[in-house]
Amino acid sequence: MVAYIVQRLAGLAFVFILVSIVAFLLMHATPGGPFDEPNMPLPPSAKANILAKYGLDQPLHIQYINYMANALRGDFGYSFSSPTETVAQVIGRTWPISITLGGITVVVALGSGILLGILAAVRQNSPVDYVVTFLATLGLTVPNFVIALWLILIFAVQLKWLPLGGWGDDWRQIIMPMVALGMGPLGIAARYTRASLADVFTSDYIRTARAKGLAEQMVVMRHAVKNALIPIITVLGPRIPDLITGTVFVETMFRVPGLGKFFVESVLDRDYPMIMALMLLIAALWGLVYLLTDLLYTWIDPRVKLT
Amino acid sequence: MKSDKKVRLNRRTFLRAAAIGAGSAVIAACGGGGATTAPTAPPATLVPPTTAPTLAPVIPATAVPAPTAAPTAPPAASAETINGVTLPADAAPPEYQTFVTYFDISADWTSPNQMETIYKSGGFGSITNVTGDTLTRLDKNFQVQPAAALSWEADETGKAWTFKLDPNLVWSDGTPVTADDFVATFRYAADPTHAWDFAWYYSAPGAIKNWDKCVAGELPLDQLGVTARDAHTLVVETETPAPFLPAKLVYSEVLSAAKLKEYGSGLYTAEPDKTISCGPYILKEFKPGQRVVYEANPTYKGTNRPRIQKVIQIAARPEAFFAGYQAGEVDRVTGEGLQTADNEIIARDPELQKQIRLTAADFRTDYLFFDCQNPPFNDVRVRQAFSHIVDRDTLIKTIITPTQGIPAYSFLMPGFPASNSEGLKDIQNYDPEKGRALLKEAGYEGGKGFPKLTLWLRNEPQIRVALATAIAAEITQEYGIEVEVSNKEFKTFMDAINAKPTQIQFGMVSYGIDFLDPSNMLGVWLSTGRHNWFNKTFDDMVNSAAESTDQEGRIKVFQDAERMLVEEAPAVFIYHRTVADIYKPYVVGECFEPNVAGFAGLQWPGFSSMSNSMQTLYMSNEITKFRDKPPA
Repeated sequence: MVAYIVQRLAGLAFVFILVSIVAFLLMHATPGGPFDEPNMPLPPSAKANILAKYGLDQPLHIQYINYMANALRGDFGYSFSSPTETVAQVIGRTWPISITLGGITVVVALGSGILLGILAAVRQNSPVDYVVTFLATLGLTVPNFVIALWLILIFAVQLKWLPLGGWGDDWRQIIMPMVALGMGPLGIAARYTRASLADVFTSDYIRTARAKGLAEQMVVMRHAVKNALIPIITVLGPRIPDLITGTVFVETMFRVPGLGKFFVESVLDRDYPMIMALMLLIAALWGLVYLLTDLLYTWIDPRVKLT
Repeated sequence: MKSDKKVRLNRRTFLRAAAIGAGSAVIAACGGGGATTAPTAPPATLVPPTTAPTLAPVIPATAVPAPTAAPTAPPAASAETINGVTLPADAAPPEYQTFVTYFDISADWTSPNQMETIYKSGGFGSITNVTGDTLTRLDKNFQVQPAAALSWEADETGKAWTFKLDPNLVWSDGTPVTADDFVATFRYAADPTHAWDFAWYYSAPGAIKNWDKCVAGELPLDQLGVTARDAHTLVVETETPAPFLPAKLVYSEVLSAAKLKEYGSGLYTAEPDKTISCGPYILKEFKPGQRVVYEANPTYKGTNRPRIQKVIQIAARPEAFFAGYQAGEVDRVTGEGLQTADNEIIARDPELQKQIRLTAADFRTDYLFFDCQNPPFNDVRVRQAFSHIVDRDTLIKTIITPTQGIPAYSFLMPGFPASNSEGLKDIQNYDPEKGRALLKEAGYEGGKGFPKLTLWLRNEPQIRVALATAIAAEITQEYGIEVEVSNKEFKTFMDAINAKPTQIQFGMVSYGIDFLDPSNMLGVWLSTGRHNWFNKTFDDMVNSAAESTDQEGRIKVFQDAERMLVEEAPAVFIYHRTVADIYKPYVVGECFEPNVAGFAGLQWPGFSSMSNSMQTLYMSNEITKFRDKPPA
């Protein structure tokens, strides 16, 4: 197991370097630069000064080596868009907020999604199943920014039950972003749980368990759900990095000062240090989540061996 | 890129786009009052004047205009005085004199001071440039007014200007504001290590002496043509005569020389515990992406004293601005932040219509442009043919809506100095038949042999994608030329337009003023500007008029130059944007009375030290019907 983990982590380091090279080359190959002027071009000599100030006049491979050398020491540089803060400070300020919102959403949305999926599977083709299917379809098909707008118009503007947005002043501020963010994962969780469980219910060992006279609750929770979890984890595991790194639409719509907007804004601004840091962060998170997912398989199903 | 989508041009695509737009409106309307009737055109009273007003030339060469009268509302017996300002009789109590507004949560905002940054200042709706006075400011009729400089005069060459500073101005730490502060401010703006994102502004026309060389690092900053003659006399020298210099100097929000020295950059202005102010407000909270708060500066002794005692700005997504306005969280939403669906809701609600305040904003004009150096658009007949294909009246009525713009047949908007809209109206008129004849003459009868075109857009919202799509469809239908619309990401577009030679054969873009002189707007068409139409006669006319101190003469030359621009058609002018801001009924003041161009809104440059509008804006006692308690 330890050897496996070490091997995977070594692979992750390789992925890291590959991601950094590809991201670095792509962002520099994209037309436009961080110091382009919206209206009128700067005189070439002035432009050259700005590029020199940020080391952008160096050959690309030198820039890359400099960046990675600093990054390995934990210095990700200053954000071009927020020059009073280092990239690490920006991430340190915003990511915990996204983790909080995303973490609560993971627990609530995936938890309730799995629960609803179980209910739907147990009561197949009943009104409960139809309601769950409707909710899941809604979550899967309606984009979260549309859900966000509906929530704002209904609960903040019309009913005035909830605050329009913000973070940290009122516990109710988390409700709407959590629902908007969670509807999609909830839908996925519910649908996959239902499908997976429905499949398991047709297995011989479930028939055997019932034949032994086990209570239905025990059959479902002890024998069926555990075995149905593998496909669910496969699908839901990768949702977690998405949720805990924030999403631009939901966070900006509800004024949550999280990390989400930087994934889009840094690219639009050609904020190279921020783009690189976020790419590396995402690569690390995805790598770790896949590793954890694989480890989780062995815990759920002892037949799975990691080699 | 999401915004880089390509739209194939045919009627079906256009109808689909229209249907999507209508669908969005319905979605938004779900919470917007429940009305389901089709949007109707706003009433005629909201439509800005379409005839060209005759603004007098706005920039005096040497004289100083009389300051605009201070607020004249007579103080009632119960009127309250706060920070040296007596509130009008119908004003809400001082604690309610708080202005709450949104700014774009996605926009960068690195400092509230314009000499630190212009373009990273909070995006739509942000209030900025209020913590330092500028040398001059504008009134609602765009007349230059004294500000930190109480008077000014040019020498006989027109290249050396002496500004007498207001001796009453002090920093909030008690130290006086002197000419040295302005010298340090301009040196910082020209400092190559600062890399001010607006550095091109003080280049030609009327470049500050040695500006370009200092910006390029070729001369030391002490060679810059901004010097202190004494503590309260500032001298600004220009490379060429610049009669518009006082108007240009609205961008001169002063920084503290001492703080610049202490902190090494102007970024101290973004830190409430470090910054000091000599402007009407002082920074209390600065959290870009969350909240920015100013409070009236109790030590302010200048000439722009505000009635509003506190400004609270909340970061929000523009799509949610109007919902927040409806919920009563903010006092206004600027027109740029209103979405198409929002405007449709407003258009069918008489109460909301009353809350609309129209402005000419930055006199922005949207236009089509061409690569004029290569076929087919190097043939003036082809360009002229395209100038006859835009049915502006219909486009305004059906897509833009009359509160959002007026037809443009030329570049300078009605009300702008030297504007000659009526006189130029017939040159680029809608006349497809004439266009077909011109194309035939150029050898492209029925579009035969004409290359397929891609119409580049600069990250435009849905409404202008629809506008471009409609124009493209008209070109295809009337001229038989296939056009594809491609809405490009902002920087990709700017990189392509600024490339030499240009990478854009056919595009649509807009331009708005930076300072109130025709040399600024027309300067974009100089050979050194961003388009590749090179016309020496035009260059000479604009450059000579820019330097001329003969007010009437220079206006005439600018008008002749604009006529040449319209006739040669390196651009096809589509519409001038008007901006319909929306304010709660309790936000009042003389700044909302119609200006000479007929616009009754908070005119450019808005609520900032560059304008005197803040002297009159206040919250009436109506506010208590809308707010239970003062906003915090």
